[in-house]
Amino acid sequence: MLRKVIKSNEFVIFLILVFLSLVVGTINPAFFSISTVFDILRAAIVYFIMAFGLLPIMIAGGIDISFVAIAAVTSYATHMLLIKYGYQGGIVPYYLIACTMGLLAGLLNGFLVTRFNLPVFNVSLATFTMWYGFNLFFVGATSNFDLPKGTVGYYAKFLITSQDPLVGTTGLHESILYVVVIGIFIWWFLKYTTIGRGVYAIGGNREVAIRSGFNVTMIMLVIFAIMGILSAIAGVTQAFLSRYFNPVIFIGQPLDVLAAVILGGASVTGGRGSVIGTALGVLLIQLINRTLILTGIPVEWQKLVLGIILILFTSIPALRERRIKRMGHTTELLQE
Amino acid sequence: MTTRPKISLPKERLTSFFEAAYIDSQTLQLIGVFFVLVIFFAAIDKKFLSSQSITSMGFQLPELGILSLAMMLTILTGGINLSVNATSNLAAVLAGFFMLKVVPPDATGVQMVFYIGIALLIALLVGLITGIINGFLIGYIGVNPILATLATMTFFTGISTGLTGGATVTGFPESLAVIGHEKLLGIPIPFIIFVLLTILTHYLLYRTAFGFKLRMLGSNPVASEFSAIENKVVLMKTYVLSGILSAITGILIMSRTMSAAIEYGTTTYVLLTILISVLANVVSGFGNVINVFISIIILQILSTGFHMILAGIRGSSFFKDFAWGVLLILIFIVNYFVYQRKRS
Repeated sequence: MLRKVIKSNEFVIFLILVFLSLVVGTINPAFFSISTVFDILRAAIVYFIMAFGLLPIMIAGGIDISFVAIAAVTSYATHMLLIKYGYQGGIVPYYLIACTMGLLAGLLNGFLVTRFNLPVFNVSLATFTMWYGFNLFFVGATSNFDLPKGTVGYYAKFLITSQDPLVGTTGLHESILYVVVIGIFIWWFLKYTTIGRGVYAIGGNREVAIRSGFNVTMIMLVIFAIMGILSAIAGVTQAFLSRYFNPVIFIGQPLDVLAAVILGGASVTGGRGSVIGTALGVLLIQLINRTLILTGIPVEWQKLVLGIILILFTSIPALRERRIKRMGHTTELLQE
Repeated sequence: MTTRPKISLPKERLTSFFEAAYIDSQTLQLIGVFFVLVIFFAAIDKKFLSSQSITSMGFQLPELGILSLAMMLTILTGGINLSVNATSNLAAVLAGFFMLKVVPPDATGVQMVFYIGIALLIALLVGLITGIINGFLIGYIGVNPILATLATMTFFTGISTGLTGGATVTGFPESLAVIGHEKLLGIPIPFIIFVLLTILTHYLLYRTAFGFKLRMLGSNPVASEFSAIENKVVLMKTYVLSGILSAITGILIMSRTMSAAIEYGTTTYVLLTILISVLANVVSGFGNVINVFISIIILQILSTGFHMILAGIRGSSFFKDFAWGVLLILIFIVNYFVYQRKRS
């Protein structure tokens, strides 16, 4: 059991995470504070949600980048719609309307993929461009800062707060609960439902999955629906955390999320991937992004350091995998 | 993947050019889309076919075009190069720094040409080195191409950011502008460069042993490894070529804007080059340079055309993004029905 854990890809990512924390902590002891943890988690919340939505699609062997566009169009369109009718209530309708839109947008991807037998990536590229263009041209091209009265203060709804001598009161935002609930749901979905097992089957070998009686069309539609809904949740959550609605939110981020999921052990060709790994992958990328400031490296050189770290840390799992491959097929079987 | 139907004409009728051009149904379809769009926009706005608008398109499309060639080569091997745009910006920044720091302001005409030549060489060298880094990571270490080039994209952008501090580098010698602004026999020089590189890429892919190996590697890496093709070396060469093409794009951007900065293009350019490859039906192992060429022109027509029609409407420049997406989906659907009918 322990051997299995130690040999897993998740464990390697975990070690890298610990190692990086120790390095940053040695350079700047301020890193080891509860406020840093809260800060990183707060920044990571929406990426967790989007990565969890992307994970089943990756396991089924597809690469999607349109989830960011769905997040943008659902959150922004919902907001503009509600604002237009002078809505002043709470946040629940936001989630309801956005999730409905997200569901439809996800199903559109799923429909195109299954009905016309298209690669997921091609469809997602088309819908990515389409939704951002739609958002900017038909809905609006400027950020909107008027939040309804009922939602003011949501950004500071903390689950637990802590007093920090340096930065004052910091807290863990309650939307981290969504992450936990969604994470457990996706884990349960992938492990204990027939559809979830079908996702792995499709990724492993699509033809075999069809022959063994999995309803591939239905499974694909379900995972795209999940992706759409989770993207919508991520979009609305991000807007409320940053207190404004941005029509091009996340436009530069799809590859970051994709990288996080792949880093977490999901295979690009499908069949492999886990919730824990994905969560660790997201956490690692956010940790690198957020902690470079603490190391005292000049701002203009931080991106360079980020690049070097990324090159190193993507090479480690690759080198490891190459060694396993060289050792032959049997070790791979033992490892599973 | 859909299999590629080959139109079989009597052998003796085919000139070697058409054999080389390899006109497949996707090409015909793209040419069809091209004419439909041209007629559509020309019918709405007479100015669309004016020499002025065509020339401006000729200046605009080569940058994205050459970048798409760089992307296409890597997609053919089953990989991807997300660092194309970062490479071109880095090449421009380094060549720009050379011109600012080394070139004396009182250089005479001949000296100037010499210095600019060296600056361009530096840019190409940057392309070479970035390509070697990518090729090493992907071919020799075996990092997933998405992860590897995403990391190097950050790394290359990081170097440019560090050197420039995020600011735009300007103040280059006037004669640099020739490449990006002048015309030769009425044709914009960037467009000529783009056409030459397209032909060169086509030659490389379909007329050389390297091109054959590259496509074989893309269609089945295991089979190619066992057929005595050194996958590592082929991958390395491919990413080096991709890097050099990106660097040439960097030179064109630098010459057109007379500046170098980290933010030119950014993420949208990278995704657009992938979009063009998808539109041209480039998949690992199979792809046609002519299709890429037509696809770029189609995208440019859509962008220029809608820009003309919708001029004055709020956010008009964003409509093209929407149109690109819709067009792509339409082409997918048409493709599906075309191939399905052929099958049955």
